[in-house]
Amino acid sequence: MTAANRPRLRRTGIGLALPAMLLLAIFFVVPVVSLLLRSVTEPDVGLQNYETLLATPTYAKIFWNTFMVASVVTTVTILLGYPVAWLLSILPARWAAIGFGIILLSMWTNLLARTYAWMVLLQSTGVINRSLQALGIIDEPLSLINNLTGVTIGMVYIMLPFFILPLQSTLRTIDPATLQAASLCGAGRWQAFWRVLLPLSVPGILSGGLIVFVMSLGYFVTPALLGGTSNMMLAELISQLVQSLLDWGLGGAAAFVLLVLTLALYAVQVHLFGTPGREA
Amino acid sequence: MHLKLKPIALAIGVSVAMTGMATAETMVFTAWGGSTQDAEYEAWGAPLTEESGVTILQDGPTDYGKFQAMVEAGSVTWDAVDVEFDFAYQAAEAGLLEPLDFSIIDRDAIDPRFVTDHAVVSFPFSFVLGYNTDTYGNAKPESWADLFDTEKFPGKRTFYKWSSPGALEIALLADGVAPEDLYPLDLDRAFAKLDTIKGDIVWWGGGAQSQQLIASGEAPIGMFWDIRLWPLQSSGLPIEIQWNGNLASADVLVIPKGSPNKDTAMKFLAIAASPEGQKRFMDIITAEDVEGGVAGSGKVQTLPEDGANQVTLGLEWWGENRNMVADRWYAWQAQ
Repeated sequence: MTAANRPRLRRTGIGLALPAMLLLAIFFVVPVVSLLLRSVTEPDVGLQNYETLLATPTYAKIFWNTFMVASVVTTVTILLGYPVAWLLSILPARWAAIGFGIILLSMWTNLLARTYAWMVLLQSTGVINRSLQALGIIDEPLSLINNLTGVTIGMVYIMLPFFILPLQSTLRTIDPATLQAASLCGAGRWQAFWRVLLPLSVPGILSGGLIVFVMSLGYFVTPALLGGTSNMMLAELISQLVQSLLDWGLGGAAAFVLLVLTLALYAVQVHLFGTPGREA
Repeated sequence: MHLKLKPIALAIGVSVAMTGMATAETMVFTAWGGSTQDAEYEAWGAPLTEESGVTILQDGPTDYGKFQAMVEAGSVTWDAVDVEFDFAYQAAEAGLLEPLDFSIIDRDAIDPRFVTDHAVVSFPFSFVLGYNTDTYGNAKPESWADLFDTEKFPGKRTFYKWSSPGALEIALLADGVAPEDLYPLDLDRAFAKLDTIKGDIVWWGGGAQSQQLIASGEAPIGMFWDIRLWPLQSSGLPIEIQWNGNLASADVLVIPKGSPNKDTAMKFLAIAASPEGQKRFMDIITAEDVEGGVAGSGKVQTLPEDGANQVTLGLEWWGENRNMVADRWYAWQAQ
């Protein structure tokens, strides 16, 4: 493509994006703004809802839970997902296709069904504990559910594809010759990884990690089913407040705080590393 | 009854379907979904359709936030809604409900505990003490106090997760409060009692989860909805019910303020709350339970004739204090 016809393309791009933009504006931006308005108007005009939210220890704990769980899930997802993404990018095409198939298949199964399956596996009378006990490895069942462990296992499993896929597309663009070059220059395997592969894959880690982190912040079903009540996260609180207690004001405030914190994180990332998925 | 996280299996395109059908009499019935809503429709909706040609569309699950939003926005798409009783009190107070027309609905035929100016019973149920006999053998819990006795009945116990009439009453009864002195609830005392077993509690958020917990033995004892234990019993699982001190409550049907088809909805409520409608519903529910097991082998334990010291939940008190209790409930849970 020549430099001359780029501006024209960019204009057409706007035209084509318009329907999606409009859809987002009408069905996303407007309702969100109206919810946020309720947070400063219900039951009275003012910032009382925000005061309640920030001054009540229970809510503070739920905020902490939310960010803590999202961080743990993101870290574990990165550690587990990276090798898989790397494997997929170096496997011959046919094997890689099978690998992708397995990953996508898990995404196509109903989320609730998958979460219930984890309950059956993880509970103290579940498959895992029973097997370990039968093998004599443990005497007492391990607490794998209704706590942070359960939430982490369940969420990491759901988030893995959202990390592996973007990372893999970055890894694929790395020329294997660079690694060869590294080893020719005398780098060991670890050195080649730490000093060549890892730095080159940072954009993929960041964009995948950000998707996982942000999705985790707003997650609902899995923490509700696999966590205990002391692991309650913001999404569950918001749904409680709005759906069952009709406290739209406080629910809106919680949603707004979550939104602001998420956008702030995103801004920090863009500031430090540029827009994810785009070469700096 | 509150069935959180149940998959939404029902028609979503209700509002779409409604346009262009303005001439025929039509209404939308919304409930919690699943086999309960199927039975409700079959017991009350189908006869109404047969009788007067009304088209009944279904939606679900009930969502109070949505309920309130549509009333406030003046675009109500639900006509008859199955809600929890304490919500009905609160919603009536907040002006979200149509007053009922008792020239159409026969008020005298309804259990007076489960009818108000704005709500009629959809289905009565009880919170009961359920336990797994595989786990406890011959040991038989006698009252709610045994639910708190982790020496006699070791293992996890399961309680209803959401702030709702039930668990707090159970704690107080177990602590020796007389049924007639329950209300206003002594929350400090109730939470102190619950604290004694907090580490042993596994929460259930919906009926299916409660069944899974007791049937697997994960939580071999706990508080349950009676109608959720019947299917387990009839399929031959080693589950028993201790009815002593069972807590009676009911889900109710209400009509959202501004319902476009409230006259039709009124007829629907009249059928639902009538003794015949109630019987049809119960027959369908229990028949299904028996079929669910080995045919004829189901031994479903229903409420004994003498009522087994039944306590009626103070739903009016709950209607007034719903949000106050919820604040404390969730704060306590999160600790």
